[in-house]
Amino acid sequence: MSAPLRPAIVERSRPGRLLVPALAILVGMLVLASIACGYAAFDVSAAFADWLAGRNTLPALVLSELRIPRALLGALVGFSLGLTGAVMQGYLRNPLADPGILGISSAAALGAVIVFYSGMAGALSLALPLGGIAGAAGAALAINLLAMRGTGTLGLILAGVGLSSLAGALTALALNFAPNPYAALEIVFWLMGSLTDRSMDHVWLCLPLMLVGWLLMLSTGRALDALSLGEDTAASLGFDLVSVRLRIVTGAALAVGSGVAVSGAIGFVGLVVPHLVRPLVGARPSASLLPSGFAGAALVLVADIAVRLLPTRPELKLGVVTALVGAPFLIGLLFHHRGRG
Amino acid sequence: MRNLALLSAATLAACLAAGIVAAAEAPLPAHPVRVVSMNLCADELVLRLADRDQIAAVTWLARDPRGSSVFAEAAGVPLTRGLSEEVIALKPDLVIAGAFTTRSAVGMLKRIGMPMLELGLPGDFEGVRAQIRTVAKALGHPDRGEALVADLDRGLETVAAAPRPLRALVMRPNGFTVAPGSLGDAVIRAAGLVNVAAEIGRDRSGQVPLEAAAFAEADLIVLDDSGSGTPSLADALLHHPVLEQLRREGRTVSIPNRLWNCPGSQVAEVVKRLAKAARERTVLQ
Amino acid sequence: MRLAVENAVIRLGGRTILNGVTLGVGPGEFVGLVGPNGAGKTTLLRLLAGLIAPATGRVTIDDRPLNDVSRDERARRLSAFFQNAGIGWPMRVREIVGLGRLPHRRTFAAESAADQEAIARAMAMTEVAGLADRIEPTLSSGERMRVLLARALCVEAEMLLADEPITALDPAHQLDVMALLRRVSHDGAGVIAVLHDLTLAARYCDRLVVMAEGRIVADGAPATALQDGLLRSVFGVTAQRGSHVDGGAYILPWARAGREPGETRP
Repeated sequence: MSAPLRPAIVERSRPGRLLVPALAILVGMLVLASIACGYAAFDVSAAFADWLAGRNTLPALVLSELRIPRALLGALVGFSLGLTGAVMQGYLRNPLADPGILGISSAAALGAVIVFYSGMAGALSLALPLGGIAGAAGAALAINLLAMRGTGTLGLILAGVGLSSLAGALTALALNFAPNPYAALEIVFWLMGSLTDRSMDHVWLCLPLMLVGWLLMLSTGRALDALSLGEDTAASLGFDLVSVRLRIVTGAALAVGSGVAVSGAIGFVGLVVPHLVRPLVGARPSASLLPSGFAGAALVLVADIAVRLLPTRPELKLGVVTALVGAPFLIGLLFHHRGRG
Repeated sequence: MRNLALLSAATLAACLAAGIVAAAEAPLPAHPVRVVSMNLCADELVLRLADRDQIAAVTWLARDPRGSSVFAEAAGVPLTRGLSEEVIALKPDLVIAGAFTTRSAVGMLKRIGMPMLELGLPGDFEGVRAQIRTVAKALGHPDRGEALVADLDRGLETVAAAPRPLRALVMRPNGFTVAPGSLGDAVIRAAGLVNVAAEIGRDRSGQVPLEAAAFAEADLIVLDDSGSGTPSLADALLHHPVLEQLRREGRTVSIPNRLWNCPGSQVAEVVKRLAKAARERTVLQ
Repeated sequence: MRLAVENAVIRLGGRTILNGVTLGVGPGEFVGLVGPNGAGKTTLLRLLAGLIAPATGRVTIDDRPLNDVSRDERARRLSAFFQNAGIGWPMRVREIVGLGRLPHRRTFAAESAADQEAIARAMAMTEVAGLADRIEPTLSSGERMRVLLARALCVEAEMLLADEPITALDPAHQLDVMALLRRVSHDGAGVIAVLHDLTLAARYCDRLVVMAEGRIVADGAPATALQDGLLRSVFGVTAQRGSHVDGGAYILPWARAGREPGETRP
């Protein structure tokens, strides 16, 4: 009985197994494309050689402090959003879950805004991502409490809509109270997201926090699979559901909170990419985690290259591009979901 | 204060517009005694030219040390936020407004017959002189206007222009620059410099991406890093590693935005500082 | 393995759900947990599975308190079947069944050959091998139930706890599943199943535990547990009894107790 089954198993897992390396290569190529893409034409390879040789030329500086951090942040933030979306969808058994839709991103923006404009973050310090993480953790906990009370799919989404509106309004309020005259105009950055003119400092600030968040979330993969049969079955399979919840809330807060603190809230990435990878890897939640992370990175990189290639000046915020793709997708999913009950 | 950046952005974005005085519907009084100014640039001229007891109110922006060149003079003068209700309540006999700001309030005040003087955005020094004279005449002090114009001209005459036509690029918060054809552009040229924004100028809004600024081969990058000390993304950008490097190379010069937010005699000071920075930079090179 | 509960009391929101329940089940036993709705059967099953803790009393595995047994060990030795939560994602049947091997796999480890054999065995036993590549939403409710049962079986635990495993199955598959559970118990595992069908429970189980209002009111071989008096007082029914030519005895709930037989006649 087992003998004829085995080839079929290998056959099925092959696309999934090749998908992660393929997506990783795609992300690598998009990082290079993003580095090559910008507002000033210069010899990138010469600049790279200068940079490696430690020659402090202007092209080397633009490469290492503008182009590379921008590309890396695009990949890091995108990976965080994609992975968090896949984890949240699996954990809540809800195909509409997404850090943006559930209000986690806007709450992270609120936390970062309060820390940044009050001057707590100084020029640029750990306080900034910690503010974002605190906001994200608050929202993730609130969503969790609602989910524990058995709120249905659409109920959770509506709660998320409420939470993001509230966080957005409080962000606007905080920016209006900010003493700096430019603050009020910067709400667009926080609510729509951008990677313009970031520096390597931003990368170092969020990278370690994100890595911890990713590991925490990836460690719940098996539990997410078990949870697809309900909490009782998952617990009977030996999963500590309190620990799983804690790892997901902490991981999502670390990854999304620190990302939003340096890039603003970029919506819909976490919603869209798990649905894009599922046809390739199947519906098992753990199978979509890594591919969703890489696909999220690819999506944000493509969006960030697009805003620079599009002739709109000043360049579009990233959230505008992701919403142009993501919002119709969400509406389609809602109709599909309603059709299925 | 919140709208400061927006105002200066609009000021800059509209700098191509020359124009000095728009026709007023209601006749202007020869000697107004209750003057309300509804725009920062009007505030500056009113505070310099009018008697203190002629001024009923200026805008709240006049008191912001970062944006206003008359913040000291504005102390103790009543403020408005440029809302039509506030202005009507003050029963002014002359309202001075900008041609590009608080348009709905201005329209309302004109409809109810308020004596209104609208100021455009001059693109050269001749326009500045004309605007000073117009406001001075409307305030009933043409002599003070002549004195202020003489101030400006004296300031411009004493400037020793840069020895070489160095390339200058203005980077205001959020990357706004000085577009060709504007007063800022005239100021740069008066200092004997070349405005690099004219070359980059593919951007309708007047924003310069940081890396375009880095590669503009500007000898002088003009910033206002006399920040308020309170954080914003706009100010944070001025400390980006790329600009820090240019600063270390001595390629930046800091000039407060308040000196050339508005047309007035104070712009001569900008010409002077630019020329001085250019001389120092020439020696360095 | 012997799974036991001693004097367990469970209260929920001021209501006493279980009131001093004591029960022990050993290897090779097929125990049917029967009783009217709200008697506390599922709560007792969840207590035995370690999903809830008693207010007083304790649950033991081979006389060790359940709390002292590690989560992993418990998951390998105690399998639980719940069908009320459904299946959250349109996974393939084989993937769903494979979830039963999670307690045997380390984090990030792939399925071993032993895992794959266990999956194949469980699918063969429940006759879902032919559905291996089907996606969950395309299954009938009977197929879904059998797939979930295969998932529980593929843990290959010493004790199987099943909550209403034959609800929503057609008669043929009800017979199949009851026979299957009996076979599992005769192969050496203990089986405790919450059942509503007294006829099938009495026919297939070695032992019936009858619950009413949070207490165990009868515990023994089907014929002794389901006395007429108890059927009347606990279930409110009278039953017909008989025997098949093959020697098997049966019991059939026939009428509401205390009413004329004609009132419940179809």
